[in-house]
Amino acid sequence: MKTYLIDVQGQVTPCCSRSHIAYRFFLPRPGGKLCVDFAYGPKNLEDREKAKTLIEESVGLYVEEEFQEQAKARWESHLPLKNLITVSVDAPDGHRGAAHRHDPEQHLVISRDEASPGLEHGELFKGLWEVTLSVHAIVTDGCAYSLQIWQEEGDA
Amino acid sequence: MSWLACELHTHTFHSDGKQSLSELAAGAKALGFDCIALTDHNTMTGLAGKEEVERENGISIIPGMEWTTFFGHMVTIGLDRYVDWRPVGPGDIHAGLAKVHEQGGIAGMAHPFRPGSPMCTGCYWEFEVSDWNDIDYIEVWSTTFAPVKNNNARAYRFWTDRLNEGYRLAATSGRDWHHQEPTDEPLSVTYLRLEDNDAPLRDRAIQALSSGRATVTLGPRLDLEISREGTTYGIGDVIPGLPESGQTFDQEHVSAVQLSAVQSSFVQVLATADFSVRSGHWELPEQTFTLKLDSNQGVLFEGSLLRDLPQITAEVPAEELKWLRAELWGIIHGVRTLIAFTNAVYFE
Repeated sequence: MKTYLIDVQGQVTPCCSRSHIAYRFFLPRPGGKLCVDFAYGPKNLEDREKAKTLIEESVGLYVEEEFQEQAKARWESHLPLKNLITVSVDAPDGHRGAAHRHDPEQHLVISRDEASPGLEHGELFKGLWEVTLSVHAIVTDGCAYSLQIWQEEGDA
Repeated sequence: MSWLACELHTHTFHSDGKQSLSELAAGAKALGFDCIALTDHNTMTGLAGKEEVERENGISIIPGMEWTTFFGHMVTIGLDRYVDWRPVGPGDIHAGLAKVHEQGGIAGMAHPFRPGSPMCTGCYWEFEVSDWNDIDYIEVWSTTFAPVKNNNARAYRFWTDRLNEGYRLAATSGRDWHHQEPTDEPLSVTYLRLEDNDAPLRDRAIQALSSGRATVTLGPRLDLEISREGTTYGIGDVIPGLPESGQTFDQEHVSAVQLSAVQSSFVQVLATADFSVRSGHWELPEQTFTLKLDSNQGVLFEGSLLRDLPQITAEVPAEELKWLRAELWGIIHGVRTLIAFTNAVYFE
């Protein structure tokens, strides 16, 4: 049986870059399997002119002046610019890891004996859990995300 | 003391790498490394089964994690427990560093001048550092064929500036290795000089790096020894201060005691390049290399070094010296560049 704990859709914009969105939820029963489905999109910025502008701005900030023209000439080597949102999990007994990768769809599980890469398996304790969406970068005008978290009963 | 060939910045599929720990370890072993640090982004779960992977591949694995933050990437190594990167804002890095150190770990700036967001989110170091003593090392060479890349050259200059300010800060290389992809570009190695004792290798490696007993190269391992008054010091050591002479000397009336004081302000330097290390894993054309002794007073010595004559001795004035390092320059992969450098020997 699935018990849904979080089911949200959200929208982030470039101003959300460098922020965390945390969802805290109560796991009513110990044990079983905790499932986290997370998806966001679009992944890539398809607008080349906008990408060029963003890259040029970034070069202005991060590249020494004498190499800026050279870096700007190579702007296409950075395409496509990507949105990046990562997921991390905290249990009542401590941190359970992160799934820091570029996949725009992630199906993550944690149970006593197994977990998705990046996450730690271990007892699923009753109590207050937290899933954090770390918004590393949003380069598109808007980026929609969905997050479902549920508990499946029984041993995984 | 013994040397350990290390790759200090690696990833697996537990973050955004495309390799298992076993594949990473086997790949590192095949390239002649003795040790890797696993530094996955914001997770340490890739270390599961570490001991078995170490046994199977005959390689040591140091636990670590790359703090992949919004304001800079920082590699932390030598600690077993996750230290949370998320509460750390651009002005809070010292609080984060304190937690890393409390766990027995050390921390280094990763690729500090790689262009940041949105090309590489958080890759450029933007944390405010008020005390460089809290940072243990700077990864001045990142990725393959590191010395020819502008952002690495900038990191090297940045490290030099901190040394000139009097900070005793180590420098390393790190490939930022994400997948097993063959490359013909020269690979960097950070050699750590370990004390010979019964402590676990990982503890000795962390101690070596935090003490600056490290030398970085694309090929031969460069070492540096400085002797003064019968005592020899190595990379990372601090040479005690000279007694105050308190006056300047008129050469015609200088006394024997004063002359002795002047002479003792010179130190003997021995720089050695070991071309036998990781034999077969790198190539250098036959050539005359340039060996430079660089310092806060600029380059104090420049001479030729050959594969068949891989040692240089020099005598340099130690007055006003804060640090001194050796650099090996030459042609590799068709480019004249810095091939190897030692960490500094420091002067009180």
